[in-house]
Amino acid sequence: MGGEGWLFLFAVLMAAVLLFTMVFFIIMFSDLECDYINPIDLCNKLNQFVLPEMIAHAFLTLCFLLSGQWLAFLLNAPLVGYNVNKIMSKNHMYDATEIFRTLSGHKKESFIKLGFYLVSFFYYLYRMILALISESD
Amino acid sequence: MSAQPVMLPQGWEARWDGQSQAYYYVDQSSGQSQWELPTAPSYGSPDAQTPVTAPPASAAPTAASPAAAPRAGRRHYPTAQIQQQLYGGYDQAQQPGLQAPMQAGFPDQQGGQQQQQQPGGGGPVQYFTPAGMDGSLQQPGIQPPAGYAGQQGGVGPGPGAQFSQGQQPVDAMSNQFQQMNMGYKGPAQAGGAAAGGYEQKQLHPIHTVNLIGMQPDVGALDSPPPPYLIPPNAAVTQSPHVQPDPSYQRSTLATMPMTQSLLNKSKLPLALVMAPYRSFRESDGDMPVPVVEDSVIARCRRCRAYINPFVTFIEGGNRWKCCMCGLSNEVPQLFDWDQAAGKPADRWARKELNHSVVEFIAPTEYMVRPPQPPIYAFIIDVSQTAVQSGMVATAARTILENLDNLPNADKRTKIAIIAVSTSLHFFSLPPGSAEASMLVVPDLTDVFLPKPVDLLVNLNESRPAIESLLNRLSDMFQDSHIVGNALGSALQAAHQLIGKYGGKIIALTASLPTVGEGALKARDDPKLLGTSKESSLLNAASSFYKTFAIECSKQQVAVDMFLFSASYTDVATLSCLPRYTAGQTYLYPGFNASRSEDAIKFATEFGRVLSQPIGLEAVIRVRATRGIRMSAFHGNFFIRSTDLLALPVVPLDQNYVIELQLEDDLKSSTVVIQTAILHTTCYGERRIRVITQSMSTTDSIAELYASADQIAITSYLANKAVEKSMTSSLDDARSLVTNRLSEMLTVYKNQVTSSAGASAQLAVPDNLKLLPLLACGLVKHVGLREGASIPPDLRAYAQDLLTTLPTQSLVPYIHPRFYSLHNMPPEAGTIGEHGVILPPPMNLTSERLERHGLFLIEDGQNMFLWVGHEAVPRLVQDVFDLPAYADLTGGKFTLPQLDNPFSQRVNAIVAKTRELRRGVYRPHLYVVKSDAEPALRSWALSLLIEDRMDHMSSYAQYLTTVKNKVNGSS
Repeated sequence: MGGEGWLFLFAVLMAAVLLFTMVFFIIMFSDLECDYINPIDLCNKLNQFVLPEMIAHAFLTLCFLLSGQWLAFLLNAPLVGYNVNKIMSKNHMYDATEIFRTLSGHKKESFIKLGFYLVSFFYYLYRMILALISESD
Repeated sequence: MSAQPVMLPQGWEARWDGQSQAYYYVDQSSGQSQWELPTAPSYGSPDAQTPVTAPPASAAPTAASPAAAPRAGRRHYPTAQIQQQLYGGYDQAQQPGLQAPMQAGFPDQQGGQQQQQQPGGGGPVQYFTPAGMDGSLQQPGIQPPAGYAGQQGGVGPGPGAQFSQGQQPVDAMSNQFQQMNMGYKGPAQAGGAAAGGYEQKQLHPIHTVNLIGMQPDVGALDSPPPPYLIPPNAAVTQSPHVQPDPSYQRSTLATMPMTQSLLNKSKLPLALVMAPYRSFRESDGDMPVPVVEDSVIARCRRCRAYINPFVTFIEGGNRWKCCMCGLSNEVPQLFDWDQAAGKPADRWARKELNHSVVEFIAPTEYMVRPPQPPIYAFIIDVSQTAVQSGMVATAARTILENLDNLPNADKRTKIAIIAVSTSLHFFSLPPGSAEASMLVVPDLTDVFLPKPVDLLVNLNESRPAIESLLNRLSDMFQDSHIVGNALGSALQAAHQLIGKYGGKIIALTASLPTVGEGALKARDDPKLLGTSKESSLLNAASSFYKTFAIECSKQQVAVDMFLFSASYTDVATLSCLPRYTAGQTYLYPGFNASRSEDAIKFATEFGRVLSQPIGLEAVIRVRATRGIRMSAFHGNFFIRSTDLLALPVVPLDQNYVIELQLEDDLKSSTVVIQTAILHTTCYGERRIRVITQSMSTTDSIAELYASADQIAITSYLANKAVEKSMTSSLDDARSLVTNRLSEMLTVYKNQVTSSAGASAQLAVPDNLKLLPLLACGLVKHVGLREGASIPPDLRAYAQDLLTTLPTQSLVPYIHPRFYSLHNMPPEAGTIGEHGVILPPPMNLTSERLERHGLFLIEDGQNMFLWVGHEAVPRLVQDVFDLPAYADLTGGKFTLPQLDNPFSQRVNAIVAKTRELRRGVYRPHLYVVKSDAEPALRSWALSLLIEDRMDHMSSYAQYLTTVKNKVNGSS
């Protein structure tokens, strides 16, 4: 198994992890809506995962860039840009005082990210298989 | 507004037909039913009460079941005609001679009727009264319904209880009559002018007025909102207090749309505007909130709603049906039992069935811990600027003077005092000792308390030490030259001190916090002002104050901020603390205690804050009929879960706005909205204040427009605009107000007046005729105004006030009052029936300013006494005790009390204006000369919102803009 195969295997695993993170976020938001959790606990819990998620995604994108996987890189670059912009304007953390006002926005964002990770998961899987087949030829 | 009793002739009963959404009327003696409102009595006896008008030709009763007849929604509420009949008959009805035989003549009928009626006699008011009733009480409207007598046998001591119901003080009756008149005035006026075709199913009459080219009628700002008309049987009692006073709770729409799509189509906002912990002033004729003394709290098992006047009793009164979810609940055993007297009590006299605003005394199930005492922690800035401005001395003196006024009924109140500069100064106030000792903590990063005890002390036990400290406080720091303020660290220390109990931190600071935790920078870059980046100055600069606010809210600690700085203090950031802990921010820009006006204003307001009977550890929850959802909340509190607002301390007279959404279509003819605020009073009692409101539903856009409340909509728009200015920009906030207004008027024009195409007119419903003026005032308000000259501190403070002032103070804050004093009517300024008579308010335009005149402009926060430069020396002499206009200097001013009638009248008007409204604010009085001090002059002129100002359009131009938008989009 060559470099490309390993890279996409790693990417598949990362995408799966990010996928689960998003599912976790969405479940937590629904819990908040149903009063199973209070906003302070929710924000404390979720804020632990915000930066790791962004860093993991940025790291994956960096791997694509370094290994010259242009298409995969371009696919991920907009999200990295969006995340960086959020950190620069300092509103990447969930704010317990505003959470109810912004909840629908947060949920929408999480759903879009979930969809994105799902699509990229299958794309990485496809590329991994492609790489393995081309190797075995 | 009270419920409107339907004035039916004797023997008729109104019944609701759910299928055709209309009332039909049943003659109980003959069993006949008809759709038309019966105007003539059905029995053949000579009727002395109702002057018989010829029965309408169409009134031939249809014997067929009305329920089966498909018929357009048609509701009958008392019309002006009925009103007249009733009042015409009223004189005769008072004669007992005519009453007695009548009643005697129909005993059977009465008896039969009682059985058919709802318990509690929500049915139509009958003209007869129980024998033995005092003749003077026999006024229609408050007569106990006949249905009582039959029912009461089971639940209470019949006639005796009726007396207690009937014997209301005479003034209460006349009040009620006034209310009835108010309710009826609308239809009577609008009878001719109503838009054709709508009167039929219209609860509220609709009356279109044109605004272009008209002077707005500013006197109408005080008129009451459209009444909450509900079907006559909706409430179980006939009490006039089943609907809350609008100052407690009002809705932007007095009728509820049946579907969300109707609401969306109408473009009207649906929100509740409430000040549940409103102050109570006897001088305004306020009624104290009735308290349910026994701790019998009947609540719905499913939706947890409290029992209220709109429930129905079923199964002979043993169960009650919840008006929100429809669940049948058991009536508590002690509900009909008077525990104090130890005998059966009259259910219909219970306060929670007669009043929309009641307080229950909560048993221990409603407590997380025993009621905490009121606790105050004062943080006083003692840096050089603070001492020099005289703030420390004034604050210490005010606290000292108000030690007796702090809520301390059970002698449990505790206080702590922390002085802060670049280090923290704690004061040990041991009980019994007459001396206070100071402990200085210079460590600001890791705040600790220097002593475990004696820092937070019982007010009564340590009184001598507290007094001696307050007397010396200012002198102690007199020579301090320390610049810098560690407010954040002091807040943390105070939080450690009182966090165990909860309570109130009152921070007085005269400089920007520059050291320790939560240090801030002066970020007011003048280049940002007037640009789209300006909104960043309205947002918090540091997250410390938000996270700290959450900590405080968790521990039931509220923070009040008193800010005094002459330079930038970052009100936007510091006001986060009060915003999320349900406190309040007070700003005294350029405070200098050597000016007596400044000292008096601060001392008065601070004193009022200290003596407020606050509520502690409160939560607010709003419940409503199934299908209605609370979607957004505005105000000073922390939202703890989707519908639970947490307020560590409830201040008096704070406003909250709650937006509503319809999740499901509403099926019933009325809906009920109930606000419950669970709190601990400062006297150590856990209480629940419940405010219940009932509204009819409608499927007509015209009805929605006719029942819209312009003041509540303004309050809603102010909150939305402030929110928008923080998340987006001030430009967007202003266009939000204008766009929402023009959307509403577009829908009104197209759907209600059904005139298509461009029009030179701007049609608005009569009840919204001042909304464009208020919207114009809102976009020109300091909090939202366009321009690069408003300091960010003033803007942030104005925005705080826009979101927290109760409607009574918000309206003048947006649309100031303007009086002409030099030519006021002779009775103005003298004591009349309701206190000092004010001159008639004028339109806010400088056209009214005369060169020789004396004018008063006031917005509840400031007052401007405008003196024209040709003012005659006599006037200047009479009012200001100065020889001529030239000797007068502008600025803050204390009006001298002179021994001439004109001065006395002006003083009386100023004093009346100062105490006119609820709240702690005591407005400054500025003298403005019409030809000097350009800054002050333009400030005063900026309050005249009907005028053009810099590049802000005048009211007429604003109307044209709105009209063009309305025409453009149709």
